[in-house]
Order: sequence, then structure tokens, then C-alpha cells
Amino acid sequence: MSRLRRFLRTPEAVAGTLLLAVLFAMALSASLLFPGDPQAIAGPALLPPFQDWSLPLGTDRLGRDVLAELFHGARTSLAVGLAAAAAALVVGAIVGTLAGFAGGLVDEVLMRIADAFQTVPGFLLALAFVSVVGPSLGVVVVAIALGTWTGPARIARAEVLSIRERDYVAGARVIGMHPMEIAFREVLPNALPPVLAMSSVIVAAAILTEAALSFLGLGDPNRVTWGGMIAEGRTVLRTAPFLSIVPGIALVLTVLSVYLAGEGIVETTAVRRGLS
Amino acid sequence: MSLLTVSKLTKRYGRGGKTLAAVDDVSFHVEPGETLALAGPSGSGKSTIARLVLRLIEPDGGGIEFEGDDFLALRGAPLRVRRARLQMVFQDPLAAFNPRATVARVLDDPLRIHGVASRSERPRRIAALLERVGLAAGLAPRAIHEISGGQRQRVAIARAIATKPSLIVLDEAVSALDVSVRGQILDLLLDLQHQERIAYLFISHDLGVVRAIAHRVILLDGGRIAESGDARTVIDAPQSAVGKALVAAAPRLDRSRP
Repeated sequence: MSRLRRFLRTPEAVAGTLLLAVLFAMALSASLLFPGDPQAIAGPALLPPFQDWSLPLGTDRLGRDVLAELFHGARTSLAVGLAAAAAALVVGAIVGTLAGFAGGLVDEVLMRIADAFQTVPGFLLALAFVSVVGPSLGVVVVAIALGTWTGPARIARAEVLSIRERDYVAGARVIGMHPMEIAFREVLPNALPPVLAMSSVIVAAAILTEAALSFLGLGDPNRVTWGGMIAEGRTVLRTAPFLSIVPGIALVLTVLSVYLAGEGIVETTAVRRGLS
Repeated sequence: MSLLTVSKLTKRYGRGGKTLAAVDDVSFHVEPGETLALAGPSGSGKSTIARLVLRLIEPDGGGIEFEGDDFLALRGAPLRVRRARLQMVFQDPLAAFNPRATVARVLDDPLRIHGVASRSERPRRIAALLERVGLAAGLAPRAIHEISGGQRQRVAIARAIATKPSLIVLDEAVSALDVSVRGQILDLLLDLQHQERIAYLFISHDLGVVRAIAHRVILLDGGRIAESGDARTVIDAPQSAVGKALVAAAPRLDRSRP
């Protein structure tokens, strides 16, 4: 309870969480409030915002409802961001734990693979992967995770290296526990907090990478994405700047809210760890 | 036949180009149901010997025979199975357990791993183990960090005896406890030895405690055996320099203790 109170006393964390809650509500209510295809034509083309209250944010070049696109785009952004970050964290934690716990050759091989991934810029890697495999939601998730898993892997490995020398790991060996069980049941859960502390940055970066891929036309073509909307609006930037500005603001707010809420959670749990 | 025979055990550590022998040509044996104490100042190699005997680290030379088998030849699954017979209690009862564990989980692990009891039977076995070490069965759902140091060390002993071992290595097992709790834990260890004929390899720097619990003692200095023999004889009249120093260092060694 005191943790919740400490969290509530941090205004930026509360603001981030509320904003994130609104974005989640948008994503979840998208098909309720705007049933049907958000990419269908809803009215005259290039209608400016706040003119027609049935289309509050106006329409784009093809007459599609910008508000509906924004709601459906929230869905893609959050889904891809969270899924890619989760994949990166899971893969990173597992690889880092194996490398740190096994040591020797296994450690060398896994960490050299991580090096190889790290030397290529994450965005180029994602770009190359999507270009080769073809754009779909799952591929975009994998592409983003490919460039991000090395960070969590390194942190998990460093943490495991210190944990594996502790008495309770020796105790687990003494009672005859299988090394895999020791690694994943005794060591990994205790190595997680610093890895999870990275999650807010990773989710935020994943959302931006997804938007950048969509902007370059490498997002899932069957889904509305904010990056795609910005790219759409780019062609009419002089006459209808709102088409790029609206999804741009949505993107900024999402990344900001994820970061603030995540930092708030990390901060409050870090204090708890410091005390115990 | 001895329960544990250690012969010419050697472990070297490299440090800054030169090697340092933490354990140098150490031989001893432990009989069933007996307590052998390894005593010596810090850095004398006693904890290294404990870790070598438990196969937590590998020796550079020498042999370890346990229950008639070459213990150093075992690896993988056969080693894990044999570990049921050779258990350990650590010095710091808080560090010895996963910080996320509950008492029940700590005791459940050895029972599950060695197939001592079926899943449905295990809660009863855990309660029996807790009672055996003088704890309430109701302690089982508590987290490890919620119970006191003395209770934790009792849980550690309960975990060690869960698989019915023939030898328990006690690495400074009572050093971190306060004096009154220390006496109770020593009584519990003596009682268990009496009932189950468990042998102890008792590692300590405290000769008062060694004199109270051990049958025989080996005094170590710089990784070598300095002196060995009957615990009371050695401690009452040490011959080696390190023995004299250790006895002199013990502030008020209670010689009237039974």
C-alpha cells in the first residue's frame, strides 16, 4: 500500500499513467466507437478539423476519418510496442541468464552473437528484416525485437554473474537441483528487476521504431498506423498540416506517457529494493 | 570403512601471476555418526575444503571417497542423485535461501528433486520436518525473510535432513547466531546425530563450540593440517603454534563444559 501511495505522490508518474490509460481506452474502444474499416472513405477529402462534428478531426487526402484512424492507430502502436518490448525482454533475459550462468564457451558464443546484433543499428536491422520477409504485424514485432534484445541480455548477464556466486545458488546445487532449474527458477527471477527497469525505455523506443517503419511504408499495409498517417500527410504538408501533426502529437504523448509511467513504477520499486 | 575419505586434497588459486595453495595436501576421514571439526583462522582453507567436499568447486589434486565410491568421478545426474546423502548448512541463514522463497518451498525442493515423497504427501512431510527441528508446522507458508535468524537456521537444518543424508557439512553454521540461539542449535544438531547417526563435518573458527560438539578436530593453517586429534585433548593442550594462538584468542573458553 505504501508503494502505491509513494507512486501516487509522484505527479509525473500519475500523469503518465493517466495518459497511458486514456491511450489504452482509445485502443480498446476503437472498434466500438468506430466500427468498420477505418480506411474506408467517410466524407469529402481534406476536410479540416473542427468543421464537421461528425468528423471532428476532419478527413485525409482520400476522405478517411482522421479520428477513426487515430483510434485504430493507437491499437497498432501499443500492440506492436508492447509485444516487441516483451519479446526483447524475454529473449534478452533468457539469453543473458544462460550466458551468465553457464559461463565458458556458451557465454562466449551467446555474447558474440549479441555483439554482432549490437554492431548493426537496430533500425537498419529492422528495416532489412521487414524488407526481406515482408510487412505484417508479427514480422514488424520480430524486426523491432531483433534490434533491442541485446540490452536486456547484457544487463541480465551482469546480474546473473553476481547472483550465481551467492550461497543460495550453492545451496540449490547441494540439494541436487538441475542446473536449468537453478538458472530459471532460482537465478532469473532475482536478476529481473534491473532488466525490467529498462522496459519503459524499450517500449517507448519500440513504438517509435514501429512508427518509423510505417512512415517508410514498411508497416502492415492492412492496418492503420500513426507512422503511416504521418507519411500520408507529408504529401499535403503545406495545405493540410494537421494530417501529419495530429498523429505526430499522438505519438509524442504515447512515448511520453509510457516513459513517465514506467519510470514511476521503477522509481517506487527501486526505493523498496533499497530498503530491503 | 570410513564414510568420507579425503586424500591429498589440493586446491590452488592463481593470483597476480603466482599461485596460492588454498588447500595443500590435506587428508582426513570421517566415520559414520561422528563429528569432525575443521578449525583454523581466516584464510586457513577450511571453507574451501567444505566446498571441495560438496563438489561446489573442483580440486586440483587428490581424491574424495564418499560411501565407498569415488565422489570426484561422479558428474551430471548421478552426482545430483548422490547429493541427497551429503548435505550442507551455510553460515548466513539469510543468504542461503532464495530471497523470494517461502519456508514450504525451501523444504519442498529436496523432497521433490529426490522423489522422497509424492506431491500430495509433501505438505505432511514438510510439517514433520519443521517439527523435527523444533519449529511450528504453521511456519510453512511464511516467507524466509519474515522469520528470525535462529528459525532460519533451523529451516536450513530441516532442508539438510530432508533427504536423510549420512553426512552434513556445517560451514560456520552457528557463527552468525547469537549465543542463546547458538546453544539451542548445537543441542538440536547433537540430538539429530544421536537419533539418525548423521556424521558432521563441522567448520568453525570458534574452539569453544568445537570443543562442545566435535569428537575429533583438525587445526588448519595456511591450507595445511597443523594438528589433529581428539577435540578436547587438542583444544586443552594445543601443540602447534596456530592451535596455541586460537586457544589464546578465544576470550573465555569454558573448560568446564561437558
